[in-house]
Amino acid sequence: MKNKILRVAALILVVVMALSLAACGKQTKEQYPTPTEKFFVNDFADVMTAEDVETIYNKGVALQEKTTAQVVVVTVDSLDGKEIADYALELGREWKVGTEEKNNGIVILLSEGDREVYIAVGYGLEGALPDSKTGRIIDTYGLSYFENDNFSAGLASIYDVVVNEIYVEYNVEVENYTPIDQLPQQPSDSTSAVEILISWIVLIVLITLYITIFGRRGGLFIFGAPRFFGGFNHYGGFHHHGGFGGGSSGGFGGFRGGGGSFGGGGAGRKF
Amino acid sequence: MKKKGIIIAVLAAVALLVVGIGVSVVASGISYQKSFVEKEETVKAAYSEIDNQLQRRANLIPNFVEAVKGYSDYEQSTLTAVIEARSKVAAASNAEEQAAANAQLDSAIDIWVNAVTEAYPELKADQQYIALQDELSGTENRIAVARKDYNDAASEYNKSVRIFPGNIFAKIFGFEQVEYFEADESANSVPQVSFD
Repeated sequence: MKNKILRVAALILVVVMALSLAACGKQTKEQYPTPTEKFFVNDFADVMTAEDVETIYNKGVALQEKTTAQVVVVTVDSLDGKEIADYALELGREWKVGTEEKNNGIVILLSEGDREVYIAVGYGLEGALPDSKTGRIIDTYGLSYFENDNFSAGLASIYDVVVNEIYVEYNVEVENYTPIDQLPQQPSDSTSAVEILISWIVLIVLITLYITIFGRRGGLFIFGAPRFFGGFNHYGGFHHHGGFGGGSSGGFGGFRGGGGSFGGGGAGRKF
Repeated sequence: MKKKGIIIAVLAAVALLVVGIGVSVVASGISYQKSFVEKEETVKAAYSEIDNQLQRRANLIPNFVEAVKGYSDYEQSTLTAVIEARSKVAAASNAEEQAAANAQLDSAIDIWVNAVTEAYPELKADQQYIALQDELSGTENRIAVARKDYNDAASEYNKSVRIFPGNIFAKIFGFEQVEYFEADESANSVPQVSFD
């Protein structure tokens, strides 16, 4: 008898406790890819060169070490019908890009299938990278590459500029820094008429110098010219900021988000 | 003697039961009250974030007008609609009015931007215009995110207020459900400028 009453009492207690726990319902969340080992570069669409991946990764690591900010590149095959701005924001929140105190994360998202790119900026970097500047960065440094399907170089180029802007925000010295607003528009065609013209002018000046200095051996100029010309054809290559990587420091992974959040800031483009 | 012993045992068990239930009710009441307050604060914070972003957008509009002033005969009638809608937002006295006024402002901006860019295609290449367009889109996006965050927080809070046994404690402590931002068709439209 006594046992039975105790058992009933225990049962009631358990039920009441269970009910008070029941309030903590679980939320079902949509599925997003999990970050790769490299965290700063997640080439899910497989559109990037190994070299650019390595370069971006090293720059991402260096940036985090110097400023705590995190800039993450993500490429996907498709957005599965989502708005790119939402997708980038959700990734940033899900991966907690940036630190919890400063919310200094950035997600650069490219969808190959949708031909869209978006830069989502965490709360803490909205001052350094307002939407207009972010849009300008894509226009100036990315679009011409993306339009020619050169996603890897475009992302590397954008990454460079974004990272530099953050260094400036954190008062870290940057070599050869050019403020965004003073930059001329990059010609959409990498061998535009202007560049060819500049190549020719430089060529003529050099030939003139050549003839002036080595005047008596002017005949050599015929052999020299094509070589000069060839060299300047690569002029467009200097726009590829992404090419110059720091020392390789492979082998240590383990980077992940620091708790940062996003509020919908950023800009995007279709191409 | 034996009978007395049983009665004492039963009384002890009942007392234990009552005390046990009492303690757990009070304990869960306290924890419910705490979680209601926390969730309600999240809802409030989310709501004020919407306000911030709406204000931000309202502040952007004069800049936008300034940017296209150079294009002298810009669509006067559609612009008047924007300015009217903007003043209605400022004059709104409650959440419902404000939501309606903002929906109207959304579509007015949309119509105006389309009219202007149609009449002056060269605007699309204007650096200042592109910059403002980015700011405006970004703000629209922030508003959308803030609304979604608000609804998520409101849903979380409303669930805790409605589900048993939370609903009982909610009634005791006076926590009521909050309203959602209705997904209005025009409120979700973002003025788009294509950069083709």
